[in-house]
Amino acid sequence: MKHFTIHCSLFTGKALCTLLFGVAVLLFFGLVYPHHLHYQEQYQLFLFDNSYVWEIVREPGGVADLLGRFCTQFFLYAWVGALIIALLLCSVQLLTLRLFNVQWLYGLSFVPSFLLWLFLLDENALLGGVWAVLLTLLAVGGIVCLPKGWTRCIFVLVAIPILYWVALGGNHYHRYPTAIPTLLYAAWLSAIVLPIAVRFLHRFQCSPQPSVLIPLASFALVAVVMGTFVWKNTNLKAEKVMQYDFMASHQQWNRILAIATAEKPNNQIGVTVQNLALAMHGQLADHLFDYNQNGIAGLLPEVQRDATSPMPTAEAFYQLGMIAIAQRTVFEAQEAILDFQKSGRCYKRLAQTNLILGSYEVARKYLMALKKTLFYRQWADETLPLLGDEEAIAKHPEYGRLRQMLCHENFYFGDHVTADMLESLFFSNTDNRVALEYLRAYYMLTGDRDRYAKLILHLQQQ
Amino acid sequence: MRMSKFETILAVVCLLLLSCVSHPDVPSSSKEAKCLPAIYPDYCDVTVPCNIAPLNFMLPADEYDECVARFTMSDGQQQTYGSGVKVQIPEDEWHAMLDASKGKSLKVEVWGHKNDEWLSFTPFEIHVAKEPIDEYVSYRLIEPSYVAWTFMEIAQRNLTSFEETQIFNNEITMNDRKIGQCINCHSYQNYKTDNMLFHVRLSNAATVLVSDGKVSKVNMKRDYTISSGVYPAWHPTAKLIAFSTNKTRQGFHTLNPNKIEVYDEASDLILYDVKTDSVSVICNDSSLLEVYPTWSPDGKYLYYCKSVPLPEEMRGKDIRTTYPKIQYNLYRRTFDVTSRKFGDEELVYDAASHNKSATLPRISPDGRYLLFAEGQYGCFHIRHADGDIVCMLLNVENPSRLDLSRFNSKGFADSYPSWSSNGHWIMTSSRRGDGNFSRIYISYFNNGRVEKAFMVPQEDPEQNTFRLKCYNRPEFMVEPVKISVNEFSKVFDK
Repeated sequence: MKHFTIHCSLFTGKALCTLLFGVAVLLFFGLVYPHHLHYQEQYQLFLFDNSYVWEIVREPGGVADLLGRFCTQFFLYAWVGALIIALLLCSVQLLTLRLFNVQWLYGLSFVPSFLLWLFLLDENALLGGVWAVLLTLLAVGGIVCLPKGWTRCIFVLVAIPILYWVALGGNHYHRYPTAIPTLLYAAWLSAIVLPIAVRFLHRFQCSPQPSVLIPLASFALVAVVMGTFVWKNTNLKAEKVMQYDFMASHQQWNRILAIATAEKPNNQIGVTVQNLALAMHGQLADHLFDYNQNGIAGLLPEVQRDATSPMPTAEAFYQLGMIAIAQRTVFEAQEAILDFQKSGRCYKRLAQTNLILGSYEVARKYLMALKKTLFYRQWADETLPLLGDEEAIAKHPEYGRLRQMLCHENFYFGDHVTADMLESLFFSNTDNRVALEYLRAYYMLTGDRDRYAKLILHLQQQ
Repeated sequence: MRMSKFETILAVVCLLLLSCVSHPDVPSSSKEAKCLPAIYPDYCDVTVPCNIAPLNFMLPADEYDECVARFTMSDGQQQTYGSGVKVQIPEDEWHAMLDASKGKSLKVEVWGHKNDEWLSFTPFEIHVAKEPIDEYVSYRLIEPSYVAWTFMEIAQRNLTSFEETQIFNNEITMNDRKIGQCINCHSYQNYKTDNMLFHVRLSNAATVLVSDGKVSKVNMKRDYTISSGVYPAWHPTAKLIAFSTNKTRQGFHTLNPNKIEVYDEASDLILYDVKTDSVSVICNDSSLLEVYPTWSPDGKYLYYCKSVPLPEEMRGKDIRTTYPKIQYNLYRRTFDVTSRKFGDEELVYDAASHNKSATLPRISPDGRYLLFAEGQYGCFHIRHADGDIVCMLLNVENPSRLDLSRFNSKGFADSYPSWSSNGHWIMTSSRRGDGNFSRIYISYFNNGRVEKAFMVPQEDPEQNTFRLKCYNRPEFMVEPVKISVNEFSKVFDK
């Protein structure tokens, strides 16, 4: 009876530990790392399309990769993403635990999950890696469940090549294809080696009697040590930059100003987004120097060859009405995605810019692709009828406004936005107050007093 | 082994009998639409090679929910196809139909179902030429990029089927993904693949050269050349390759629908000797731009483009202001393969006098016709909406232009023309579909008459919607590239 009670307490205690771990993961990704999840989502485009699926699963490790990509599409909603990660990491822990049931080393069953958590702190770590570990554990767990003998041998022989194709052979578990995801490999290895080591150590266990305290203490030890590692490796700076990018992409101008006023960002993306929000509120020129500035590079930075930094700049070009440049900037960003994936966010914006510029058939192609997604389908369905419907576009609050803001003069654009371009943009439509804000700020940041004075004089004469 | 007419008919009958289960019935009643069907791709009244892959097509999915097509051969035999809005014809049945229709036509009747009723469209014909097309075409698949690019591949497509395989990709030997790798300018000697090349730029850069089936990598940059070899042209008989060397730049329009301007700040012509790995200069006028070499089929002439001098007042100015004034004419030089000597320059076509710019000359295999791309200005007409293909007779005084109105598009870029090895098919890369994603179009050419162009068919016609890639530099080949991607990549290990 006493043993039964201890077993029950142990079971409950273990369930609580798993739950506690899961909640910690959920809260971490939901509260501390939500924009990392948005970041992940925007650098892939999961299509419900046979050829897309086939292209992935036909590669070694493709099933794990596909499952990772499938789950990542839900990261559009950070809490859903956090829940998915929590469930996956708890599943890894429970499957690891199944492989060894040695009470006094119970806490070690959390090590692979903690290592995966550490792995996922890297914004370029892909969820397919977690799935690869999980699928491996499922296969090993299945093998262990089988009775020893020929059945198990045959199962092992069959399972190894399948597992290789499904998970082990993959190389798309990190966005940098040449990067070696050490933490992922450590998690993978620990999920297999730890149970073997624990079973070996079990021989030296002094007391055969189960106890509640020792397993829980081992959990506490692992949780504190690994939890410290997680916290120490949390990249809050990157999270902050991603937050600014996220807010810009969702046009949360009030929120940006509230945060920027409190924080005074001094990173490239933060300054670009802060200036855009100020311009959208008509406060850029008047409050320019209340915030950190980075010269004209803080207004409209040159397009760099990476997938992240051009996005807020592209948003600024878009809001200014420099649609062709916004289109190019978004396109460059998408082309810079290191693992050659496409982006739902970029496709959406490319559809919008082509629609505004009247390239309806090109817009249709992006929209048709977005129709094959889970979360962009509805938007694509709503946007498709606009193609070619000039009246509806003119009435549209965003596209109609931006069409009116288009520059009337063609510029031959390299990488630098010039004062001439901003002037031409503004004088094409003097209702374009965002262009005016940027033009004034441009003169102020370059110290061009003459042109600034001329502009003010012109405005006063109007 | 050639099939007799009886055997062909028998084969067709057997195939039709065997596969009749999957063939839909034509609607028992329908309303006459009194117009041609809006099928995609448009195959109405086109002339196709007798060995082309099935011309699968579809009706617009947002308008129709079903489509049935009935094909009638000249002997009256019929077959129907259709599933949903798509018409996809089994390859064996299609080829049997083509074999039975060489030099004749297939009549195609199309019915479309929408709003609970069937519409019957005006029938059209697909004319089947007696002349086959080269079995393969190769192209680079790439997003319509600005500066950055992602995955790209040089692929080869069997035109008699839907088989597409990779020749090379920019992933397998890329050793620095941040720098990236560009692969381009695949080129073959005489439509064959034992002597061929393509370039690999940036990360792990080299020109990959295949000589008599052996792969090597070479660097053609010399201290007296602007760059390594860029646009290539294999001499038809000797192991010689003419290249342009270029200092290419690009800029972006903010309003102009052409979007991108590609221009050369400098360009010259060089001759590369494969056997000796030596580079000699053909022409390098520092004030003018020579580009796009191509050989006459007998190898006795080298054709190329050269810019005309800018007006005095524009010289020395920033090219971003002068680019709309840069125009190219077509020239040629005689070539003696024994002495490797070029003759004097001879003007072939004065495009600038027509306020035009001519690029990418290609001579027909019989040496009678000149095909080239023409636009208002510049050297990169695939980015110019006014870019069209022009064809004219060679070696005649005041040659008139052939009527290519059924080959060219209106208002969209058509560029990179080429001839099939038998001279009966001309091909272009065109943005006519949407102004952005280029596709390959082919027309029948017979003694100066050019028929309506058709898009290279795909197994699933919708693939043209979902493949967000451009088809760059389509080149005919009479055989596939037999070297695998892995074999090519091994040359970078050395």
